Amino acid sequence: MSHRYFDFESTAAAAAIGMVVLLAAPHAAGQALTPAAKTAKTAKAWTPPHTADGQPDLQGVWTNNTVTPLTRPKGLAGKEFYSEAELTEAVQKERARLSKNEEEGRPTEPGTEDDVHYDFSQFGLDRGQAKLAWNRRTSIIVGAEGTIPPLTPEARKRRADRAAKAKGHEFDGPEDRPLGARCLARANVGPPLLPSAYNSNLQIVQGAGYVAIEAEMIHDVRIIPTDGRPHLAKTIRQWMGDSVGHWEGNTLVVDTTNFTDLNPFEDAQNLHVVERLTRVDPDTILYQFTVEDPGMWTKPWSGELPITKIDGQLYEYACHEANYGLANTLSGARKAEEEAAKKSKEGNKR
Amino acid sequence: MTTKLFAIVFGVGLLLPAVPVWAHHAFAAEFDQNKPLKLRGTVTKWEVTNPHCWIHIDVKDGDGKVATWMIEGGSPNSLYRLGFTKDSLMPGTEILVDGYQAKDGSNRAVGKNLTLPDGRRLFMGGSAPGGGEAK
Repeated sequence: MSHRYFDFESTAAAAAIGMVVLLAAPHAAGQALTPAAKTAKTAKAWTPPHTADGQPDLQGVWTNNTVTPLTRPKGLAGKEFYSEAELTEAVQKERARLSKNEEEGRPTEPGTEDDVHYDFSQFGLDRGQAKLAWNRRTSIIVGAEGTIPPLTPEARKRRADRAAKAKGHEFDGPEDRPLGARCLARANVGPPLLPSAYNSNLQIVQGAGYVAIEAEMIHDVRIIPTDGRPHLAKTIRQWMGDSVGHWEGNTLVVDTTNFTDLNPFEDAQNLHVVERLTRVDPDTILYQFTVEDPGMWTKPWSGELPITKIDGQLYEYACHEANYGLANTLSGARKAEEEAAKKSKEGNKR
Repeated sequence: MTTKLFAIVFGVGLLLPAVPVWAHHAFAAEFDQNKPLKLRGTVTKWEVTNPHCWIHIDVKDGDGKVATWMIEGGSPNSLYRLGFTKDSLMPGTEILVDGYQAKDGSNRAVGKNLTLPDGRRLFMGGSAPGGGEAK
């Protein structure tokens, strides 16, 4: 793909001189890179380790857990980065919130839909209970707008048609439930890899000519050949698409096509994702991505976030093994139908 | 940007964790917000399975009649990271469940808050790392 939409060259340069510098150096796609003089002060030459066959070594267990939202919150339009002071305040607030929730439980109103959920902090499911990489970005999506571009008219139509067809049939059977609830695929696994609300952990394993990325939630492994082979034939479509990779210096560049039109972005028919993974220090991979589909969005969009090293291993996520949730949801819907039919019968009698 | 606006934006924008954005399934489709319940029971089995663990408890009513309930809890992956293992919740443990019953009326519920009789919350590991350092 063309790289004109994402300032890859400048971000890679910044990545090479370290995450701290990158995060302290606001730049949007298409904008001027931070002056070299400013970054040179903190720049440290760091050479990533290499595998036995000479690839830059990205292996290990990592997390892309973050509190940075994918799209920029309203009211922060045009503000791509928080200041150091703002970030410090946010970190303090987040810690205060977490300890309050751990003490008192998640604050929800009894008898509301929001309350019908187990307590996040009790089960260690609150993002703040896991390691996360704070950064100054106001959104994962880069650039002045920080949002996913508008849908094209034809994509809006496809979406409306799909919604109209599904309306009233959301609970008919398993096939009508979302892919995640059916344990088939999760949009956060992408690509692009986006943070999950919890268990946002990844493992990267490399072999000669291959890089494999496993997402703990929900167990998917993407095996990426780096031997220069072409993509699969266009007719073969897969949940996570078909990824091929190559190395540009210390950066792994992964190009993915051949998605279905269901995952990770419903109704995208010609999705093309380019990811760049650069290990910028022993504990950090800078993850950058660009998503495009001219039939879906009016322009491509790009994002970046740090991926941080964590201890331990990935735990098994055999999602379908005890997926009572799907059955409970459908049986709940049958019960509701039964009650509605009974009521209407009684109404007819009157 | 004014300080006030900053506070509002951080409140709703940056601090995502309070909102279960990508929860595995819609809890409100499965459990009934109009059927809150409180149960006191004895653990008979703990299914440590993804995407959610399920705790089986025996609950005695006033007449001494025993009913078995299944209580849905969080992901075992996160519990392991808090230091829990399959041996952490042994059969015979008495627990209090504060939650909502399944919409289909069966003896299944989501366990909003699970506590031990002495008031301690069942799965608070006390070892939560509390987030990483600011970078």
